[in-house]
Order: sequence, then structure tokens, then C-alpha cells
Amino acid sequence: MTEVSERRPLEILKRYDALLYPLVFISLLLVAWEVSVDAFKIPAYMLPAPSDVLDAMDSDLLNHTWVTLQETLWGFLIANIAGFFVAVMFVHFRPVELGLFPVAIALKTTPLVALAPLLVVWLGTGMASKIAASALICFFPVLINSVKGLRSIDAESDELFRTYQASRQEIFWKLRLPASLPYVMSALKISSSLAVVGAIVGEFVGANAGLGYVVLVSSYHLDTDVMFSAIFAAAFIGLAFFWILEAIDRRFIFWQQEGAD
Amino acid sequence: MQSTATLVSAESPGGNALAGNPLLTLQNCSLTLNDTHILRNIDLNIRQGEFVSIIGPSGCGKSTTLRLMLELLKPDAGGRSGAGQVTFPKVKPRRGMAFQKPVLMPWLTIRGNVELSLSLGPQKTPQSLRRGKAEAALELVGLLSYANYYPKQLSGGMQQRVALARTLAAEPELLLMDEPFGALDEMTRNTLNLELLKLWENRANGLKSIVMVTHSLHEAVSLSDRVVVLSSRPAGIRSIIDVPLPKPRSAGFVSVEETPLYQQTIARLRRELQSDD
Repeated sequence: MTEVSERRPLEILKRYDALLYPLVFISLLLVAWEVSVDAFKIPAYMLPAPSDVLDAMDSDLLNHTWVTLQETLWGFLIANIAGFFVAVMFVHFRPVELGLFPVAIALKTTPLVALAPLLVVWLGTGMASKIAASALICFFPVLINSVKGLRSIDAESDELFRTYQASRQEIFWKLRLPASLPYVMSALKISSSLAVVGAIVGEFVGANAGLGYVVLVSSYHLDTDVMFSAIFAAAFIGLAFFWILEAIDRRFIFWQQEGAD
Repeated sequence: MQSTATLVSAESPGGNALAGNPLLTLQNCSLTLNDTHILRNIDLNIRQGEFVSIIGPSGCGKSTTLRLMLELLKPDAGGRSGAGQVTFPKVKPRRGMAFQKPVLMPWLTIRGNVELSLSLGPQKTPQSLRRGKAEAALELVGLLSYANYYPKQLSGGMQQRVALARTLAAEPELLLMDEPFGALDEMTRNTLNLELLKLWENRANGLKSIVMVTHSLHEAVSLSDRVVVLSSRPAGIRSIIDVPLPKPRSAGFVSVEETPLYQQTIARLRRELQSDD
């Protein structure tokens, strides 16, 4: 513990490594792309140069990104709250688990693309149908990981709590819940990227705003640069979302890095 | 202290009943779990003021016996010889358990882990008193300066001491220990045994009796007043042997091992363990 101060400069370097290496490689990739498009005379409707894509990023794109971001966040939030709640039910009431688990599996195995048109019929072409699509695709991994986490307590801990005659509530709040957090955290990370997918799939089916809508419309017009700008924006949402969760994970779930799948 | 062994028969539960009021009595306790017959007709008295060790072949049901004392398991209700019973004096003694593994919550600080035993169940300590009691218990095991650390930052021996502090913080009258230092290296184990002995001799936190399950004959002899030898499964009490060593023991913790009395007691226990029914 006393060696911390000696190691410090190295640690800082390492921390920057995680940022520096990706930045260098991505920059190289972009430069190679820019140069190749110019050198091989690739037509812009096939592959626009990064500089063209940058030009296509305007305030319009920002508005569409904002729409998709909201859908993603709401879908993510609803799925996680609902998924965790159902998981708690599963763990405490066996009949609920036996009855609902097949339904959850059916939901997971049905392709979201097949369900999305139904959601549009029910909820309209506005944000609601995209939020629903996003929530649907996130729900299952959250449920599975939460159940796994809530069950991850070992026999000794359970015995320890029973030795002190802890109530069910105490066992839940002081043992099950904290024990499940590393698993729930992995679930959040998995569902963060899925949430973006759900929102965009929803937008493909019927929308008048959002990044999925931009991709679709620009493909009709062969505005490939606009298409790329929307793809990048979608990727950025997913990436930023994941990074934020990763940071929260490292900060607050310090006791265990291995989680779930 | 009596220097003769007391062989137990079904008629005289718990052997010699001369000294100390009983704190807990197992009467005719048999236990069958999932069709496995684990314990048969255990009669054992734990008296106030004594340190009892339980030894026996591995897997025979030593830990199960502790779980009966904790009432985590119930003895068989029926059978050829009637229902088993775990009885207490009018006021049930507060019981605390130390497990083989420290079983610390990795998300709580050391202080938080010790406070855990004070914040659960119907007998929990008022919030305002927990911190003081937890810190006093940490002081007892010499880890107060680690109160703000997390379990992962401590060695196995230190973690086990935290677990002991957690158990002691709740001020148990009867301390049950299930091979508490069994997973540690021998040197750490010796240190902790000596510490335990000192806590015991000072009757730290109102401790009245200790029951310890162990694999080590040395541990059993150097710490306890009586050693209960269990037979193989289904385990019954083969014999209860008094340890005729002088007390307090902590002063001569190491040198006592060279005395003939110590060696004889070890030899007797070894014979008891090897004799087959």
C-alpha cells in the first residue's frame, strides 16, 4: 500500500494509454480513408471522404441525434427498471418465474424487426413506438443478468444472515441487492448498445425523425455522406453511453470486476 | 477441573454435570437430511464457562452439530428413540457463529462488515451505538486501524480476525466456531488461536462458553476444557475427554505442548479417533 506513490507516474501514463492508442489508430484510419478515396477516385455516392461526412454534419443531424438519444435513453430506462423488477419477482416467487420465463424466452427469440411494424401500428410513428422497440430488445439481458446476480449469494452468506435472524427485507437490501450489482452493471452495459439498435430499428419501420430515419431517407437519395454522418452519430451515442456506464462501474462496483455475460 | 474422562451414555446427557449451569443442551438429537442419516442420538451439555471442542472424522457431522445449536437445523422429530431436542435455560443465550471462511461482504468496509452483525434481526443494536461497538470489537482483534479498508485489501488471517470481530461485536454468550482458522497457514493459525485464548480468558464482551469444531488435535487440546469425539457417520458421541491442563493457558501457550500431560491427552484423543465401533 505504501508503494502507491512510487508507481503513480506509470499509472497515469497507463491511463492515458487507453485514450492515446485508440485516438492514434482512429486518426490513421481516417487519414488512410481520406487519401484512398482521393487516390482511387471512389465516387462519393459509394464512399464519401471523411471530410465530406464532416461537412454533412449540420444542425439538422444534431436534432435527429437528439431524437434518437431520447428514444434510446427512455427505452433503456424502462427496460432496466422493468427487467430488474421482474427479476426480483422471479427470485422471490417461484411460480412467477415458472410461468413467465417461457414468455420472456419467446420475447427474446422473436426478431425485433418482425415486431417493430406492430409497435408502429399500436403506438404510432412518434417516439413511443421506438421507445417500446428499444425497451423490448433490452429487456431480456437485463432480466437474465439480474436474476443471476440476485441468486449469486453463497450458502455461507445466507447462513450468516440467518444466524442473526435477518428478515427477508434485510436479506434483500443488505445481501441480495448489493451482491447483484456487478451483474446488473454488466446488464446495463450490454443493454446500452442494444438500446440504440432498438431505437434505430424502430425508426426504420416508420418515423419522421431520428438517425434511423436519416439513414433510410438518405439511402433513397444516395446521399451517402449524410448516411455516414448519421451512422457515425449512432455509433457515437452507443460508444458514449457504454463509456459512461463503464466509468460508473469502475467507480462504484469496485469490489468485483468479473460480472456476467 | 476433573482429570478423568467421562464416557457418555444415553442415561447421562452431556456427561459430567458437576460444574457450571448448562447454557445449551442437545438431547437425543438425531438428524436425517435428504434420506442421509447424519447424526444419531447426540446428548451434549454445554455448560457456562467452558470451552468445548468437537473433533471427528471429516464429513461426520461436526458442522451439522453446530447448526443444530444455532437452530439453523432442527433435530428429527420422531424415530425409535423419540424426538430430539435442543434446550436452553429460561433466557436463550445470544449465539454467534464464526465460519470457516470469513464471509465478509466485499462492498462494505471493515467497519461496515463488523456493524453488520449489529444491524440485522430482531435484536439489532440501535444505530447510534453500532459504530462504537464495532470499533471496540475491532480493537479487540487489533484491527481498528483498518476500519476504513475493504476486505480485499486484507490478508486471509486479517479477514478471519474481522469475521471474529463481527461475531464478538454482537456480544454472544455462546460462541460457535466452525474450523474458524482451518483455511489459514499454520503460523497465522497459531497466532489467532492465542488471540482467541486471550479473548476467552478475559471473557471479552460477555462471552460465556465456546464450542469449536476443529480438525486439529493440538488446537482442541491447547484451547479447550473438554473435547467431544464424534464417530463416523451417522455420528454419535464416541467419548468426551476432559483436558487436564492448568489454566489460564495463554501464558504457557507454546511450552505446555512439551508437558507429558499434553502429550498424553493428544495420544488419548488419537486412540479415540482411531478406535472403530
